[in-house]
Amino acid sequence: MTTKQLHKTTESQSKLKEFKALGFIIVVLFPALCVAAIGGYGLIIWLIQAMGGIVPH
Amino acid sequence: MKYFKDLWQTLNKPAKYLTLGSISLTAFIMGIIFWGGFNTALEATNTEEFCISCHSMESKPYQELQATVHWSNNSGVRATCPDCHVPHSWGRKIARKMEASSDVWGWLFQTVNTSEKFEDKRLEMASREWARFERDDSLACKNCHNYNSMKWETMSKLAQKQMKSAAERDQSCVDCHKGIAHTLPEMGTARAPQLIAEVGTGPSSFTNEQPYFSALTKPLYFSPTGDVQAGTLNVATKVTVLASEGDRVKVAIDGWRKKVGLGRVIYFDFGINMLTAQLSKEAAKTDGIINGFEEKEDTMTGLKWQRVETELWTDAEYLITEQKPLWDYARTTFRTSCSVCHTQPDEAHFDANTWPGMFQGMIAFVNMDDDTQALVQKYLQQHSSTFVKEAH
Repeated sequence: MTTKQLHKTTESQSKLKEFKALGFIIVVLFPALCVAAIGGYGLIIWLIQAMGGIVPH
Repeated sequence: MKYFKDLWQTLNKPAKYLTLGSISLTAFIMGIIFWGGFNTALEATNTEEFCISCHSMESKPYQELQATVHWSNNSGVRATCPDCHVPHSWGRKIARKMEASSDVWGWLFQTVNTSEKFEDKRLEMASREWARFERDDSLACKNCHNYNSMKWETMSKLAQKQMKSAAERDQSCVDCHKGIAHTLPEMGTARAPQLIAEVGTGPSSFTNEQPYFSALTKPLYFSPTGDVQAGTLNVATKVTVLASEGDRVKVAIDGWRKKVGLGRVIYFDFGINMLTAQLSKEAAKTDGIINGFEEKEDTMTGLKWQRVETELWTDAEYLITEQKPLWDYARTTFRTSCSVCHTQPDEAHFDANTWPGMFQGMIAFVNMDDDTQALVQKYLQQHSSTFVKEAH
């Protein structure tokens, strides 16, 4: 394997890595966090109401 | 682990190959897709189709709704499940959705998948919804109904009076309007569920000529099958069962009545205002329903009293064999409810005719249903100085 070929492999490898990372955070992580955050918000309101608190609407 | 380490390394330094443009474009588009998708999902779970896709919802509440004005009416506007059962404001809606996740649990374990299971749980489920409506001042109703838009002049006099006073206090609608979209839970026990849980619903068969005691305020009828009510039998009242037929029993009630008006209220004893039964005007006017005997004059009030006996029919349920469980329940309720604010007086501190006034004056401060109220009042009267003195 020539140096040039090796260089090309690492280049395409790290390019793939970047794509994967982007895909992971944008398609999986952030939506999941967002749903969790909204769910948590709902849970907090529910708990406040369950303890007899009044939540403004 | 190594995967995440690599991932973090990639994310933690400037992109070498992806352009800023492609990253922001991807993020932008994904943002749109996510938010759109989220709202679509939220909307989808907020449709009637979604609600009734579950068998227990389709077979019971949905069918019941179809018989009501919230399903079809002159104006052609109808309420769907989420209109009443899911708050409309965003935050509360999300909270409700989280809360509803427990329904998924119920569906998974088939908590209410049959008619019997549903009926068993109906009171519990209805109570939960009532509590929610009460907490929100019936906001769900008020999304459509508005006190300010009510056409008072087309209402009956009674409705006007009731609605106007409700409007002044911006009262919660379900305070009065329960069971308008779905069948009410079995109200026999719903009236005083704790009491019934304590004393039971009574035996399934009765011995004639034996005494029994009413566990709730019960309707009285003229015949074993007819629907016409002849009055009501007060709670914790001793009656003698004379005959059984179908799901009713014939009972003999005795006591004293005041010789005023139709004299349709029967009291426990001469000169003692302790309710035994209240008959309807019709019953009081019908010959042979109330049989009068000797008369006596109460020197305190100058009123003439007459000993009476009557025989009427009542439902066979909620007639129990002993009076003691009723008094035990009443004593506990009296002690706990009254001691919240003050040291409750001894039962024998007042006499049987003083207790009702005392008790009614305090009742506004506690939360007691009608049956429990009637029971506690009777307990106090029965254990007042009037009787305790005699027992000594």
